[in-house]
Amino acid sequence: MLDTMSAGPAQGAAQLGWTGVVRFLHLAPRAFLPMRAAETLTLVAGKGIEGDRYMIGKEEGFYSHKPEEGRQVTLFELETLVALKRDAGIELGPEEHRRNVTVEGVPLNHLVGRRFWLGETLLEATRLSVPCRHIEEITGKAIFDPLINRSGLNCKILRGGIVRVGDIVRNAA
Amino acid sequence: MSARPITTVKTVVTGIEEAGAGVKLFTLADPDRWELPPFKPGAHIDLHLPNGLVRTYSLCNEPAENTRYAIAVKREADGRGGSRALHDEIGIGDVIGVSLPRGGIEPQAHIARYVFLAGGIGVTPFLSMARHLERTQQAEFTLHLIVREEVPLAAQLGSLVEQGRIIVHRTSRTGRPDLAALVGEGGSETVVACCGPESMIESFERVTAAWPAASVHIERFTAPSPVIDPDAKPFTLSLARSGAEIHVRAGQTILAALQEGGIDVAASCCGGICGACKVGWIEGQPVHRDRILSPYERERYLMVCVAGSDAERLVLDL
Repeated sequence: MLDTMSAGPAQGAAQLGWTGVVRFLHLAPRAFLPMRAAETLTLVAGKGIEGDRYMIGKEEGFYSHKPEEGRQVTLFELETLVALKRDAGIELGPEEHRRNVTVEGVPLNHLVGRRFWLGETLLEATRLSVPCRHIEEITGKAIFDPLINRSGLNCKILRGGIVRVGDIVRNAA
Repeated sequence: MSARPITTVKTVVTGIEEAGAGVKLFTLADPDRWELPPFKPGAHIDLHLPNGLVRTYSLCNEPAENTRYAIAVKREADGRGGSRALHDEIGIGDVIGVSLPRGGIEPQAHIARYVFLAGGIGVTPFLSMARHLERTQQAEFTLHLIVREEVPLAAQLGSLVEQGRIIVHRTSRTGRPDLAALVGEGGSETVVACCGPESMIESFERVTAAWPAASVHIERFTAPSPVIDPDAKPFTLSLARSGAEIHVRAGQTILAALQEGGIDVAASCCGGICGACKVGWIEGQPVHRDRILSPYERERYLMVCVAGSDAERLVLDL
């Protein structure tokens, strides 16, 4: 009963769905280094992001000793940054959460196991990200607890391409 | 894929300069000159040297220079070996892993005056502070540098000496200065800080004993002991399958003790929520601090990243 989504339009022809947008892009070539903002990221199918620490074959990330295909690209909700400030009084910048893509209007927690378009690239979400103590060490901010259950999404790249700030994010039917 | 977890910031040596009085100035940078993790004025880093030694040095460049770490190292022939390894074995292009920067003084808007007292090479933590204050002009500062005769880092200090911001006291000529006179009057707008040999720090502590704690800062050459929960106790892990015994220090995590003992345990969040480091326990009184195991699971398992022990011995299914 609860292992699939309901099929077809809802009663009264309500439109179920969402459309989001890419707000920020970040990458870093090695563990611990500050994330650097980018206007574009180049996603390579089945591999990762060019120049990022989790690119398969060139891994130098904090978690690279535990390979995982869903770490090819990671996403984070801009809404979570707003909520952190509103609910916990913590100012966390999009360069500090250490995910690659900050999106707005995308219900990341609903997308595990699903495919969606990030600009011209096609992603498949493998699992929710979990917060880690490592990020508290780097940022010096007590964000572990407030990020539980809203720490972003891990994805593998099915179709590569260039992602730009301002790109549309939408469901792949 | 790297076989072992990456636990340090990877840097390469991009510069080595002779800086006088047996001191060398080393510059470390990211292999691609990427920005390095930021630091506060007066912060320090651990260097994980190729020979296995781990040594702590103050960063002496300006924090706004975010693509390099500069450290000044005096060769101590009779020291514990870190400075000798750096002076004698390290060259340009060598890779050195470093920790994230720690410590330092966050300049406060209400502080109008800083007085730094440095003994010899103890000047290093105050160099980044002095450069930061010189650039930002946010507060007055005076750095009293007490040396026997030769001034370390003379070329780096030169302009600040000419400006009168650094005052050199040569004990071979004028004897030891009166620290009380150097620090002057206290006050909520003044911060005084000291780094030097232990005898100098003891004198400084006597002189500033009546000052408010927030106005006094001390840097020691050797790292202070980590702050440990006063209720934390050491215990011993017995590994049922391998027969190994591993000591867990007070305040240390079981995960860290296992890793030190060469036992590879998967771990991820290190905060007791992801479930990666679940390990069975057989005997003892574990203290569960995770947030995912059910009461039923806790009778058999614990999360080694956060769990502790109420008994002296804890037997794990490893």
